[in-house]
Amino acid sequence: MNGVKVVMDYPGNRALIGFTRRIGLWLGAAVVLGGAAAVMLVLQLAVLARIVSDLAFHNHAISDERAGLTLLLALLAGRALLQWAADMVANEGSLRLTAAIRGELLRHLFNVGPVGLTGQATGHMVTVMGDGIAALEPYFAQYVPRAAMMVVLPLLVLGMVAHLDAWSFVILACTGPLIPVFMALVGYRAQAIMDRQWTQLLLLGSAFLDTLQGLTTLRLFGRARDAVAAVAGMADEYRATTMSVMKVAFLTSAVLEFFASLSIALVAVVFGARLLDGKADFQSAFMVLLLAPEYFMPLRAFSASYHARQNATAAMAGISQLFALPETATRHATRDSAAGAPLVAIRCEDVTAGYQADAPVLSHAGCTFRRNALTVITGESGVGKTTLIRLLLGLLQPMQGHVTAVDECGMPHARWQDRVGWVPQQPRLIHGTVAENLRLADPMADMDTLRAVAAQADALSFIEALPQGFDTPVGERGACLSGGQVQRLALARVLLRNPQVLILDEPTASLDLQSEQRVAAAIARAAVGRIGIVVAHRPAMIAQAAQVVRLRDGRLFSGPSTVECAA
Amino acid sequence: MSTLARIIGLMRPLRGRMALGLALSVAASLANFGLLFLSGWLLAAAAVAGLSGIAARNAFNLFLPAVGVRFFATMRILARYLERLVTHDATLRLIGRVRAWSFERLAPQAPAVLARQRSGDMLFRFVADTDRMGQFYLEVLLPIASAAICCVVFVTVTGVFSLSAAVVLAVGLVVCGGVLPSVAGALSAHGMRRISHQQDVMHADLTEVLQGMGEFMFLGAARTVQARIADRDADIRNERRRVALIEGGARSAMTVIAMMSAAGVLVMADMAYGAGALSAACLPMLALGGLAAFDVLIPLPAAWQLLWQVRVAAGRVFALCDTPPCVPAPARPGSPRAPFDLSLSGVGLRYPGATHWALRHADLSVAQGAHVALVGPSGAGKSTLVNLLFRFHDYQEGQVRFGGVDLRDVDADVMARHIGVVAQDFHLFQGSIRRNLTIACPTATEEAMWQALQVAQLHAFVQSEPAGLDTLIGEGGMRLSGGQARRLAVAQVVLRSPDWIILDEPTEGLDARTERDLMDALLQALPLRTTIICITHNPAVAARMGRVVRVEGGRFHEAGRT
Repeated sequence: MNGVKVVMDYPGNRALIGFTRRIGLWLGAAVVLGGAAAVMLVLQLAVLARIVSDLAFHNHAISDERAGLTLLLALLAGRALLQWAADMVANEGSLRLTAAIRGELLRHLFNVGPVGLTGQATGHMVTVMGDGIAALEPYFAQYVPRAAMMVVLPLLVLGMVAHLDAWSFVILACTGPLIPVFMALVGYRAQAIMDRQWTQLLLLGSAFLDTLQGLTTLRLFGRARDAVAAVAGMADEYRATTMSVMKVAFLTSAVLEFFASLSIALVAVVFGARLLDGKADFQSAFMVLLLAPEYFMPLRAFSASYHARQNATAAMAGISQLFALPETATRHATRDSAAGAPLVAIRCEDVTAGYQADAPVLSHAGCTFRRNALTVITGESGVGKTTLIRLLLGLLQPMQGHVTAVDECGMPHARWQDRVGWVPQQPRLIHGTVAENLRLADPMADMDTLRAVAAQADALSFIEALPQGFDTPVGERGACLSGGQVQRLALARVLLRNPQVLILDEPTASLDLQSEQRVAAAIARAAVGRIGIVVAHRPAMIAQAAQVVRLRDGRLFSGPSTVECAA
Repeated sequence: MSTLARIIGLMRPLRGRMALGLALSVAASLANFGLLFLSGWLLAAAAVAGLSGIAARNAFNLFLPAVGVRFFATMRILARYLERLVTHDATLRLIGRVRAWSFERLAPQAPAVLARQRSGDMLFRFVADTDRMGQFYLEVLLPIASAAICCVVFVTVTGVFSLSAAVVLAVGLVVCGGVLPSVAGALSAHGMRRISHQQDVMHADLTEVLQGMGEFMFLGAARTVQARIADRDADIRNERRRVALIEGGARSAMTVIAMMSAAGVLVMADMAYGAGALSAACLPMLALGGLAAFDVLIPLPAAWQLLWQVRVAAGRVFALCDTPPCVPAPARPGSPRAPFDLSLSGVGLRYPGATHWALRHADLSVAQGAHVALVGPSGAGKSTLVNLLFRFHDYQEGQVRFGGVDLRDVDADVMARHIGVVAQDFHLFQGSIRRNLTIACPTATEEAMWQALQVAQLHAFVQSEPAGLDTLIGEGGMRLSGGQARRLAVAQVVLRSPDWIILDEPTEGLDARTERDLMDALLQALPLRTTIICITHNPAVAARMGRVVRVEGGRFHEAGRT
């Protein structure tokens, strides 16, 4: 609720100020341009005052004022252009900064890694990165420059008025600084009222969303119809509570109105009396009257953009929370996956792992995965297959024990995980062509290579049957591929990196019998010459295995076709 | 335009308040105009009198205009403050109305409408959209209507002194408030649409990238996908820059036109002065009035822009609310009678848009009082039973009878009276434990609540909390552990003491002992007539039921009686 958001303060403010420094040059330029525009404005009002005075009191005809009017136009044009430029410069700085923040946040999230992001709803993160960061733009583009202008223009006006009339100077100089003081006083009072009702406001503010989220539960309770009345009731309660805060909060703007109106009235009345006595000249009086509203204008513009700050601080809380996630993934994805002596085995020795120290998912599990011996891991859902995969991928560190990989000479490797190719349960295709999706793994790959890996993954035939072959758009908004086709495409993509270890998570889980068999056969073929590890339940995949490992009660048990496995 | 007409329809009961708000807004703007207009005259008239010698000076009454100036100043302050109060109050009321109205329309569509929108983001957006619709009055209608009324008054007042000056002012106001914003709006509308589209695309891309993060990292594609997002961002930035250029230009043009109009008014007034139709004191007054008149146009560009956004938001809300429920209410509602036996024969259910059947040729009969475990692989259709029984989704084939009535003749609210469900994705409402229990059963006594908590093995925890039943559980029950939350959901259903209880994985997240205690307490506390259907993966829980039914391939298979 833009217009009715209540005043609040977050530690996010500090982070905002930090960001503001980074576009100091842009904002500085905007303030200089805005200041120049302000000078033009003051000059322009001076010219207007002189013209009016000449016409009304010095018997000038309008034809005598041609020079004055031309000057007025020139100043007007200059001011308009300068202000336009000031706005554009501030806007540009803000656009650049928010783009940079978005890039940095995404990079940070990649460094946090998928395990670190467990429990963060994707929808929430997308909202923070999209709308959240966009909410910072008005803060940098409007709030900050206006805050600066709040100092520049009043000082300029005050200087001019001091030059024109001492009385008016005193009036403006006294009322000006009083405004922020009174606004702050009222603001504190509003804040105090709000602090008292904070919990209630928070609760009522999110009550509608909460009720919507619980709509299914309400229907299961047969209470959906009653909830309609409850929604209306809560909205009314929210209104009553908010308005009790608003009554005080709006006094801040009333203070502004009060002083602005008062000083105009004072200037008019005080000048009127002196003009009547012939102790003042009309041109100065009129000039001061023109300047007086401009004296308060920046303060009004500033309070109008106060919402920009509120929205930005609220958004900043979400952004800071994502930035504060610890960076767990230390992987630097390198492309030299095939370099070095080939790996022949991965050993898990006495591995204990999990997410809470007192409730490990795997305890003292041991197993060896060998090259050219496709291993299938089975187990009931929730027994820790995902944990085992994360361990093998290096996304999770064991609490105890080791996971090591050795090459032909029996030498262990430190960064063997760079040589792992992984296809998750639901492979993601980006919105792009088939070729673009494949080239994610190797941007330099030529068509022959793409064809070769596609053939290896049994994907070539269906790709070539697509309307535009490798140039067919796919992904969520593209051509609909079947589950089995997506799996084979993802397999082809991962093979493009020529990985020495191939890990697949439930590749056949949601496939019909025929595509299941095709995918299983493709995986068996692709695993030749590699260490192949597949999580699966269904017989077609298990039939291709050289080793079956069962996961139960946090331990690994060898199946009948085991090569070597220890519990 | 019909979307706006519908919003205005929603505003109808609030029109009194809204008219008052408009009147106050007009009063404040007129007071501002009057203050400057009169001040200009006061200065000039005083100066004229001061220059024309002692007699004129003594004849000049400074008192009356000074009172006028003070009156306008006071009126400006009061009217502005009251306007804020009244209009914000009306806005909050309007938001409340929009929410209640849309909730009423949405309620019969749950959960189908929620499932159709894959992301939970849709709800956030829905809430934001209803807010935006509520702002239609405050930020669109009010400034536009107020400006229109004020402009007519300004022009009329100016016309009293000089007709030609009034014409110049009218032209300036129309160009500034009408022509300029609509031209700028038309120029930027295309850009705004593109921005909105590109933002949707970027959100979709971000979703893709975040969901596939692990996979992209292992493909070595982290940089590539980040660069893709950066490219999208750069596209949006270019478009925003163009829109900002247009908007900034329009703002600057407004200041130019305002000042030129004031100068034009001055020139016209000077001609009238030259012809003797006006006094000298009127020149500064009309010039100042001309400048002050343009103040009411300041909020208009933002209002025009928001009008577009309101229309988009309202379009989305109306589209969602106008979707007919996927199961129409029964024409001849029947009410099931005891014994509440269930029989499914040859039932086929396919979800809208799905290619395969969730249930097909499914037969099942459950007599009242039976204890049945439903087991089977995930996705086999176990949870479909709830959707079927509550008429959340219609079945296309076969027949279902419950308590002697055809299920097609039973309303979801009637089913809720007989069947209690602990769904797998149950929702706990923010607030206290008491509130959640009251939502489940509004008539429950405190004693009944404690009993239900005891059955759900949660009483020890609630007793240990200082606030007891009034313990706050946070958004979505966030302050409870997964097991505690599930037990609270069980307590809610126990409190309703329905004829049937369907438990979807009731012991998930519990350790073996609590699990055993919970099942013991449930079986002991529930009367014998209560049917229990327990959907579970856990063999220990299934073993507690009298009968085990395996769901596989969209059918029910008898797997044994214990």
